[in-house]
Amino acid sequence: MKNTAADIQRWSEEVARDPRSLAFLPLARAYRRQGLRDAAMQLCLRGLQAYPSHAEAHGLLAMLYLDAGDHERAADEWSMVLRVDADNFDALRGIGFCYLEQDRLSRARQSLERAALIRPSDPTVQEALRVLGTRQDLVAGGISGPATAGADDPWSGEAGPFSAAHVPSPTAPEAQPAADDTRGSGMTFTFEPVPEDSAAEPDAVPPAEPEQAPGGTGRTDDASAQHGTGVTGDPTRLFDEMMRDGPLLGALMVDAHGLVLAGRLAGGNAGDAELVGAVLCSAVDEAVRTVQHLGLGAWEGMLVETDEALLHIAPVAEGAAVVLAARLRTPPGWLLRLASQAADRAAAWVEAYA
Amino acid sequence: MSETFGAVVEQLSRIPGVRGAVIAEKDAGVAVVQELAEGVNGNALAALAASLFRRTAHAGRASGFGAVSLVQLEAAGGHLLAVEAGELVLVVVAEQGAQLGLIRLEAARAGKSLA
Repeated sequence: MKNTAADIQRWSEEVARDPRSLAFLPLARAYRRQGLRDAAMQLCLRGLQAYPSHAEAHGLLAMLYLDAGDHERAADEWSMVLRVDADNFDALRGIGFCYLEQDRLSRARQSLERAALIRPSDPTVQEALRVLGTRQDLVAGGISGPATAGADDPWSGEAGPFSAAHVPSPTAPEAQPAADDTRGSGMTFTFEPVPEDSAAEPDAVPPAEPEQAPGGTGRTDDASAQHGTGVTGDPTRLFDEMMRDGPLLGALMVDAHGLVLAGRLAGGNAGDAELVGAVLCSAVDEAVRTVQHLGLGAWEGMLVETDEALLHIAPVAEGAAVVLAARLRTPPGWLLRLASQAADRAAAWVEAYA
Repeated sequence: MSETFGAVVEQLSRIPGVRGAVIAEKDAGVAVVQELAEGVNGNALAALAASLFRRTAHAGRASGFGAVSLVQLEAAGGHLLAVEAGELVLVVVAEQGAQLGLIRLEAARAGKSLA
């Protein structure tokens, strides 16, 4: 849908008159379409001060960061969207593509498969899943990617202000993967995550680019990423050192969707851990919303006392959280300190395995 | 009864670092009595804290850890405590550097007296 000059004028006046006006959102979208990225970003950031949980504003900000080539912040904003709306298709797809570009294959699959459940016929998601399958097959076959940079950021193509597109190198066909390039597969997918105004968006496609994880990290597969981190193989044992002594009943790391990534409950089975992770993390959104609305700054954790245990939940990175469960009458200060250690350990794990 | 409520929030508010205390209906999220520093929105505090407490209490039961008696939020700019008090929830907002140990003790004691 194209916006008229009169629309823009009206929204602009509304925002000038009332800084809390929700007109900031269509105005920011219009600015983005006009290529006024900084102005659009300012509007979004100001709007989010008034409405910290506004999913559409976070989604638009993600696109603006993406336009600016800042994929990490784009992914952060999509994470915020998913905190508010766990089934947001654009955010799942966007963050899935970011993970895919960074060769964080497990997380990419998790997000893209959720996106595919919501819109099974979306061709970009299907294409991305196909690419993902190819890469995982190659990784499973022992072919790893380059360990150093030497290629451009795959998101940095000259896409128009309304789309980012990724066209992997056609010189590395799927059937004949080069030993130093696991990702070239001749596939193409295009990312256009702002569908509400898609008619106004040009079909910009950047030139083909060499394949390489952003920042030249050279991360090539989930298994090899762990080398040198000190984080060992079995994810269920990530926190075992902490559980060896003392009153800890369990320690889990869960992702933004409440799925257990690592850790275990002492004496419990995997099903118990999944239940605890999923159910307790459902309260995280509420905690984040509360501190944001009350102007208490960033959420750093939540201590919960129950009839049977003392629990602590704290954010780690990328929407993940660490849940600790300790025996009743455990000193809360001790649990808070342990939570800090657990968060460090979890962050290292995320870095190694994500 | 309202005098008792008033005395509870007043006493909590006197603890150094406390920015305010509210007694709210747990289900409705409506403030019954409040004592707040300037700039703290009592209605929002009551609604959000009650909602957080309900959600966390549900999660605690569903995950097999039993009834929740206290929820303590940690944030970069301060703390929020929500304490079970029967059909009410006692809420305290405190600054980052506040005496949390004392606040927790007083809030827990007050919560029991209100229940």
